[in-house]
Formats: sequence, C-alpha cells, structure tokens
Amino acid sequence: MAAVLTDLFDPLLLGQALISGILLGLVYSLMAVGLSLTMGIMGIVNVAHSVFVLLGAFAAYQLWESLGLDPLLAIPVVFAVFFVIGVLLQRLLIRRVQDESQSTGLLILFGVLVAVESIAILGWTTDTRVLSADYGPSIFIGDFIIGRSRLVAGIISLVLVAALHFLLTRTRWGKGVRAMAQDRQSATLMGINVERMAEIVFGLGTATAAVGGLGLALVFPFTPQGHIRWLAWAFLVVVVGGLGSVRATLFAGLFVGVLETTSGVVLPFELVSTVVFTVLALALVLRGEGLAGVQRRSI
Amino acid sequence: MRYARTTQLWRHTLDIEPVLEMTDVVAGYHATDLVLDGVTIQARPQQVTAVLGPNGSGKSTSLKILAGLLFPREGAVRLHGQDITQVPAFARRKLGIATLPQGHSTFPDLTVGENLELGGWVFDEPSQVEEAVNAAYERYPILAENRNRSAGSLSGGQQRILEVARMMISEPDVLLIDEPSVGLAPKLVEQMYEEVRKFKEENRTIVLVDQNIGAAVDLADHVYTLAYGRNHLDGNHREFEGRLSGLVREWLQF
Repeated sequence: MAAVLTDLFDPLLLGQALISGILLGLVYSLMAVGLSLTMGIMGIVNVAHSVFVLLGAFAAYQLWESLGLDPLLAIPVVFAVFFVIGVLLQRLLIRRVQDESQSTGLLILFGVLVAVESIAILGWTTDTRVLSADYGPSIFIGDFIIGRSRLVAGIISLVLVAALHFLLTRTRWGKGVRAMAQDRQSATLMGINVERMAEIVFGLGTATAAVGGLGLALVFPFTPQGHIRWLAWAFLVVVVGGLGSVRATLFAGLFVGVLETTSGVVLPFELVSTVVFTVLALALVLRGEGLAGVQRRSI
Repeated sequence: MRYARTTQLWRHTLDIEPVLEMTDVVAGYHATDLVLDGVTIQARPQQVTAVLGPNGSGKSTSLKILAGLLFPREGAVRLHGQDITQVPAFARRKLGIATLPQGHSTFPDLTVGENLELGGWVFDEPSQVEEAVNAAYERYPILAENRNRSAGSLSGGQQRILEVARMMISEPDVLLIDEPSVGLAPKLVEQMYEEVRKFKEENRTIVLVDQNIGAAVDLADHVYTLAYGRNHLDGNHREFEGRLSGLVREWLQF
C-alpha cells in the first residue's frame, strides 16, 4: 500500500501516464466517434461497431505482413474499403430495419458482430497479434518517454477527428447532416437525400472505426475476441461525451485514455479494466436511463 | 358543385391543364389499411386548391402523396403532365414543389439563419442561397432580428414564420400547405392566410389542406372535399360559398 501511494505522488510517473493517456485517448476518440455519430444522427445503436475496429486492426496487420505496406500508407486503403463496407451495410441491411423497433436493429447488428468475429477467428485464429511496424526509437523529452508508434497513432487520430469535426460543423453538407439528425422529414422536404446522407454518415462511422483499430494495433497487441473490450471503451466514451458531437467525443476519449493509463500507474495492471468498467457502470447509472439518457448534443 | 361518385365528372375537359395532379390514387400506411381509395385532385395553375373534409377523410394523406412522402399503391401523380409518381420527396423540391408540413418542422438546434440556408439546399451556387436568405430577412424582419438565435428558442408564431420563409427560399412554383393555422394565436392565423394570399398573387399554384373551412374556402379558387378516403364534392369557389354550414352538418353525419 505504501508503495502504491508513493507511486501515486511520483510526478514523473504520473506525467508519463498523462502523456501516454492523452495519445491513447486520441485513438479512443477516433475509435468511438463513429458510434457517437451513428447513434446521435441516425438513432442506430451499433453494437457491431467494434468489429470494424477489429477488422481495421487485422487489415493493417495483413497489409503489413503480406504486402509490407506501412500502416501509415495503409490508412487511405483501410479508410476507403471500410467506408464502402459501411455504405453497403446501411443500404442493404440497416435501412431495411430502421422503421422497426430499435431492438430489431440491435439484434441484427449483434448478429453481424457474432458473424464477423467468428469469421475473424477462422481466418486469423485466436492467437495474439502484434503490428510490428517500427517508427524508430522512442523520443525523450526531459525525463518523459514517448513511444513513436503511439505518437503516430495519436496524431493520425487527432487529424481525422479534427477533419470530421470540420466536415460536420463548417460545411454545407455538415449542416444538412445536422438538419437530418434533428428532423428527418423536414430535411427531406428541403431537398436533402437523407437516405444517401445516412449511408455516407454510416460509411464515415465504419471507416473511422477501422482506422481507429489500425491506431490501436500500433499501440496494443490484439486478438479477434479482444474487440469486446474496445466496444465497452467506445460506449464509455459515448456515454461520457454524449451523442453526435465530435468535439465532446474527443474530450471524452482523452478522459478515458488518461483514466486508463493513470489507473495503470496507481493500481495493479489486472484492475485497470475493472476501473474502466466501473466508471462505465457509474456513468450509465448517473445518466439515469442508461443509453437512452445519454445527452444528445448538437454537433 | 358535383358529386364525384356518380361518374368521372371531375375531369374538367374545358379547364386548363393542371400543374400538379393525383389521379385515382389508392394509398395507405401499412399493407392492410386503405386511407385513400381512388382520390383525384387537380391543382390548376396560379390557383388555390383547397382540400377539405372531416378528420380521417384522407386530406393530409393526399398532401403527402403530392409531396412524395408517401407513394401510392395505385394511381399516378403528374407535374405538368409528366409522371412523377415514383419521384422521391427530396427530388420534388428541385422540381419546384415545396411543402409546409403540419406542426413544428424547424431544425430546433440550428440557428434561424442556418434554417433559412437549408431552404436553399437545391441551389447550386452559395450566392443564390445568400441572396434568397437576405430577401427573406427583408420580407420578415422578425427573422433578421433573430438570425443567430436557435430556431427552437423562438415563439410558436415566429417558428411558423420561419417555416414559411424557409419554404419560399427556393422560389417554388407549387406550394403544398397542411393546416397552416393550427396552434396559432388568432392574430397570427390572419397573417398566415394573408401570406398564402400573397403567394397566390405571386402566381404560385397552391394546394391547401385545412380544418379551418371558412378561411380555406375564402382563399380557394377550387375546392375538393373528401370523405372516407374518397372524393366527395368538387367545385369552384362560388359553388361552395354560403354552403359551408350545410357542409359541416353533412360531415358530422359521417
């Protein structure tokens, strides 16, 4: 206990945890922002969100192992492929059940999750994988160490999240998306093709999830079943940050990242997940009505 | 005034070609229900066509068919003689058909200015949008004063004005208006009908669905009444004037 308390007040360790946590949190923001958008704009609770994170990680892994394609160069490929997958998923599957009760959509997406996870296990087995792309030695700033892979993952994530924020708040198209989120019929009557727009939003949601998975693969080892943890993290980010706001999701992601790394310093490693899940449970209880109580913010 | 049930009398061979029409439309919201059973409505150029009837007669559903928010099971919708039955609602705005739906329809978390800009979604050039929005500010100073406020924070009457102004941004030729005065204070009700009258003077073609029979007939050049999802009566303004109480009495028997 004494050792724990000394660690807690070790400014070097805490500072290190803060830096790592912020970089990790940026990746969490990117991973979760699609969940927040599809839920906030289209009212879809995409429980299959994390399989796109998972597939993004494995896509980057496979492109690196088989073709030697650097994960940084793989980003446009992964983004484009998963954008198309998201568009098709919305067009062929989700659109058909959007007028049914929310539990129908939930069940279908849960089916997608189980199916994709099973296929991933068939393809990649349950072995733990590591994306071994090397961006050189860690950077030292004073006494603090920053791993290059983590830095790269954080910067990519920040750039993409910022681009998404810009797209939704500063462009005409983004205004149309906000209009659709607020009143679908009125948006239609303005001449907005809301079906097409929903496809693009869902495509952006899956593409950012996949690139988020690529970022996570640069930081952590991963397995086909490990995505459930990322799903919980993504939901935590959404519950903390509210729905549909990119900026709020960014701050919530940073919060979760820093929470994870600092509790890793203070507590034994095995308890980190427990802490994060406890915070998720508390956040849901404090919000009152579970996910339905998650505050909806304008983008 | 004619009773539609007898024959196909509503085909006015002598009349001018309608701008927008729905012919023998059968429609419903689910597979099992039948809200419209062969309804025909013609909107003639630069006229106000009122569609009246008791609750549940299919007035609003007819307007949804014209707007493209609901597709007919049978029958056709034509614009200037062109079949647009399968044209989705969003694409009809570009064809010059704008709709004012029943109840609140602003984007509450967007500003008044952003709401108006969205009214110009079909424009290709940002300058066109800006010009139209400025014209709207001139026409409705109350919107200019509140341009940076969120639409949801306006009073009910101001929101209605915003909805009307937003509908007009794209300079539509055909207006589909559903219950324009519901929920408004009496003074605003008058203003609403005054606006509709102005739109008519601007040579626009208007289809007006209304519970406020007196006001609607006052404005209308042509009146359709529906009952049980079918055409009931059909005639011009003169034929309906002075017979309103009889009409209402008849509806009460349905």
